[in-house]
Amino acid sequence: MTTEYMNEEHATAETGDDVVLEVSDLSVTFPSDDGPLPAVREVSYVLRRGEALGIVGESGSGKSVTSMAIMGLLPRNARVEGSARVLGQEVIGLDDKAISQVRGKKIAMIFQDPLTSLNPVYTIGYQIAEAVLAHRKVSKQDAMKRALELLEIVGIPSPEQRLRQYPHELSGGMRQRVVIAIAMANEPDVIIADEPTTALDVTVQAQVLDALQRARRETGAALVLITHDLGVVAGQVDRVGVMYAGRIVEMGPVEEVFYRPRMPYALGLLGSLPRLDGDRSDRLTPILGSPPSLRDLPPGCGFAPRCPMARERCHQEEPRLLLTNGDTGREPSEAGAPTVHTAACHFSDELVGVGAADLFRPGEERPETTEGEPEPKNPVEPDVLLSATDLVKHFPIRSKGILRRKVGEVQAVSGISLDLREKETLALVGESGCGKSTTARLLLNLIRLTSGEVTYMGRPLQGLSDRRMRPLRKDLQLVFQDPFASLDPRMTVSDIIAEPMRIHGDGHRDARRRVKELLELVGLDPEHGSRYPHEFSGGQRQRIGVARALSLNPRVLVLDEPVSALDVSIQAGVINLLEDLQDELGLSYLFVSHDLSVVKHIADRVAVMYLGKMVETATTEQLFSAPAHPYTQALISAIPLPDPIKERTRERIMVTGDIPSPANPPSGCRFRTRCPKFANELSDVERTKCVEEPPELLDRGAGHRDACHYSEVVELI
Amino acid sequence: MLVYTMRRVLGAIPVLVLASILTFVMIDVSGDPLADIRMQQPPPTEEVIQQAEARLYLDRSMPERYWLWMTGIGGNGDIGLLQGEFGPSTQGPQYEIGPAIAERLWTTLRLVGAAMVFALGLAIITGVISALRQYSKLDYTLTFVGFLALAMPTFWLAGIMQAAGVKFNQLVGEQVFATIGDGRFRAQGEPLGDQLVNAFAHMALPTLVLMLISFASWSRYQRTSMLEVMNSDYVRLARAKGLRNHVVIRRHALRTALIPLTTVVAISVAGVIDGAILTETVFQWRGLGDFFITAVDNNDSYALMGWLLLSGIIVIVANLVADLLYAVLDPRIRYE
Repeated sequence: MTTEYMNEEHATAETGDDVVLEVSDLSVTFPSDDGPLPAVREVSYVLRRGEALGIVGESGSGKSVTSMAIMGLLPRNARVEGSARVLGQEVIGLDDKAISQVRGKKIAMIFQDPLTSLNPVYTIGYQIAEAVLAHRKVSKQDAMKRALELLEIVGIPSPEQRLRQYPHELSGGMRQRVVIAIAMANEPDVIIADEPTTALDVTVQAQVLDALQRARRETGAALVLITHDLGVVAGQVDRVGVMYAGRIVEMGPVEEVFYRPRMPYALGLLGSLPRLDGDRSDRLTPILGSPPSLRDLPPGCGFAPRCPMARERCHQEEPRLLLTNGDTGREPSEAGAPTVHTAACHFSDELVGVGAADLFRPGEERPETTEGEPEPKNPVEPDVLLSATDLVKHFPIRSKGILRRKVGEVQAVSGISLDLREKETLALVGESGCGKSTTARLLLNLIRLTSGEVTYMGRPLQGLSDRRMRPLRKDLQLVFQDPFASLDPRMTVSDIIAEPMRIHGDGHRDARRRVKELLELVGLDPEHGSRYPHEFSGGQRQRIGVARALSLNPRVLVLDEPVSALDVSIQAGVINLLEDLQDELGLSYLFVSHDLSVVKHIADRVAVMYLGKMVETATTEQLFSAPAHPYTQALISAIPLPDPIKERTRERIMVTGDIPSPANPPSGCRFRTRCPKFANELSDVERTKCVEEPPELLDRGAGHRDACHYSEVVELI
Repeated sequence: MLVYTMRRVLGAIPVLVLASILTFVMIDVSGDPLADIRMQQPPPTEEVIQQAEARLYLDRSMPERYWLWMTGIGGNGDIGLLQGEFGPSTQGPQYEIGPAIAERLWTTLRLVGAAMVFALGLAIITGVISALRQYSKLDYTLTFVGFLALAMPTFWLAGIMQAAGVKFNQLVGEQVFATIGDGRFRAQGEPLGDQLVNAFAHMALPTLVLMLISFASWSRYQRTSMLEVMNSDYVRLARAKGLRNHVVIRRHALRTALIPLTTVVAISVAGVIDGAILTETVFQWRGLGDFFITAVDNNDSYALMGWLLLSGIIVIVANLVADLLYAVLDPRIRYE
């Protein structure tokens, strides 16, 4: 059946030249009460048959709006100017009838959030068949057959059964694969994927990217991959465009842009990224300030206010996107030949051979990277501050009826033991649903333990009344993930930061002075205390959250995904701040995160969790250089490296499927259902042990412990 | 689905029992059914009062009376809901509550049913139009009309409508709208056409009044829920598939946007019954509203309890239907 469709499709395609999508001078303006908002300004690019183009940029850079404009999916009030041609046909300004013949057939789209992309009231099969029927005069049975075929291509197990299921019965990764199946249903010439894996866990991200590749192979479609994740782009595309403040500021072959960026923003973006293949002692290079408001864009280069090499000319004249090929005179770019590298910077020649740190942190002393082993931090083992033994937390599942009988339990945390020492950073990593946040809350005695013991400086916390727990709360503070939800919008920043002091009844005489001190400490203007949270950007708000946590001089900070809601250029600044604060104040961090690159950068020791169990714990150096547990290995190899060559050539350990429900974890080793070793390497006899016997967390020497019967060190980076 | 339905139905039973107890106790403690007899001049003899007490079972304790009211066991055959008897009335031994309620139930249900169907239809249509043409003149006009209806007390709206109906009749010089009574016996035995004209004349204005009350808020809900769905990712994906706009709106937006309205409508059934009482009073219909007021006037506690229980049952059943409908509309509910 596929072959029929393909023949028909390719016949029409061969008539044009090999350009499938040509965008020229596309601008999008949204009206607002405070005047027009130019979300996209004069974006031009060319996409050839079968090519993959990445568009990267931070939130608000206009990368999604551009593709929505091409698809004609913007709200009616948006003003779209310029042109976008799909196979030579202008698509901007088409009426409903005409554009609906292009959408889905010539150009298809995949959206960010798979949990909301599918209509909850129709079956999977219906929604895929609907896409087929929109463009082909086939019977419903044939459309369903095609749907089945598509589900097989994107790698969904037992597809016949899935066809009859509703979206809520499928996991996020599965649903995104269904969306990919819908996108490829009519063999489109272009697939636009807008942050297709951002909402997914890394191991699932790897599976979905794989499905996307398969979809492209099958259909021969060109790809526009929109993402903020430079790692994903590095491995998936041929060319990349960097967007900033509504414009493309640099574009070229992915190797060129990644290894030889010619626009300070692109350079800064790459430098601000914590890297799995980077050295821990390297400091991250944040870009100062935050992206400009689209409402009042600077007259010259949009990046000039944040750019260390900005000069008079940059503030007055907006640079055009020009060729970067050395000193042979700079010409205006011809519309995107595959090898052309363009950048929008008046002084891009000066960036030849310049690193991010040279540009953004000039003059700052940088200790030479120590060769080999970093010197041991402290020869004497520091004291254990917070210690957990065999933590167990089960949440009851109750029936829906009025009796609310207990019908089962979610085993969120099943036997976690860990020690947090003085002045160290312990990272707790794992994918969503592994119990890491629950563990953090148990450690702070914020929820009741099912069993186990938590001690702070030798003193057990469980069973303490709220009143007796309160003095200890001063020492144990928490920073939340979402800087937008964790600050009361009706309180001023001063009140927010002073509130813990007020609650603990101390220091209100010099609270005002202390608040100023804290604001300065976290890198904010101390005069801004009287403002409200909404006047600050995400990164600044997260700093306010840190200042609040520090107001009581705690010894332990529990950081629950503190940077995952932030853009990369902002994230680097917050990570640096946390590192500085630790050095200055001697804090201990429990750093909860799903992002191994950040963890590698900030942590001294790492504990990897899977389905409520700890599977491996070691120092950061041990864990990343010699991961022993198959899950850790899979996790590390699923993290995309922002390095095109390394990313394409590295060895990968893929896991299959999704995380099982913690209400009904697999017997024996909980990871065995997804374990590549279990599936591919072990004999039946060896497997029996995995099925029957839960592996213990055993020391492999030097404090490196893992819970696998057949663990084996692999080098991955 | 069957298990779900069964569970919902079984779940409604304790609510009904609780409602009956609450109804009984509240009516029982509020007011003396024999007040009228006691107030008579010259004062009635002790014997007469005792007879009345015995006839109304007031000589028994409250729990006994509740049991009697529910089951009729140990009564005189004129009481016991489970036997289909509503109990003796203060309005005389010949007044039977059951048949009286049944007769008026039809009158009221006709009004409530018609009003709700029209209100729902109109609310969905205007809600969808408002959402699709957000911030247009049409949207603003519909919003204005909605808020106007929302802001008017029922008795006031009914009064205005009645006056307007009279005025209209005077203007055309013919009685197009009947503004008094439900006209049930007017056209009996006449040709079908005449019956319909008669029914329209009597029903049009009260239905319009009752309809406007619920229409206003439902249309607002429909607009909001439609707007939310129109901005959802799955509607965008449906467009991205290449479906035509009208298909997207009908199949993907409207279908899901109806789900929240189900709950809203079920919850407002009680409000509509309230509205019916007022509307019936203004238009002098002999419906349940009139029955209720007469019962209150006469301290007729069994009649009142019967009425309250009936409206309670209507509300509970409406919510049950909404729950079941919800399960049909939203597959996420079904299997839980």
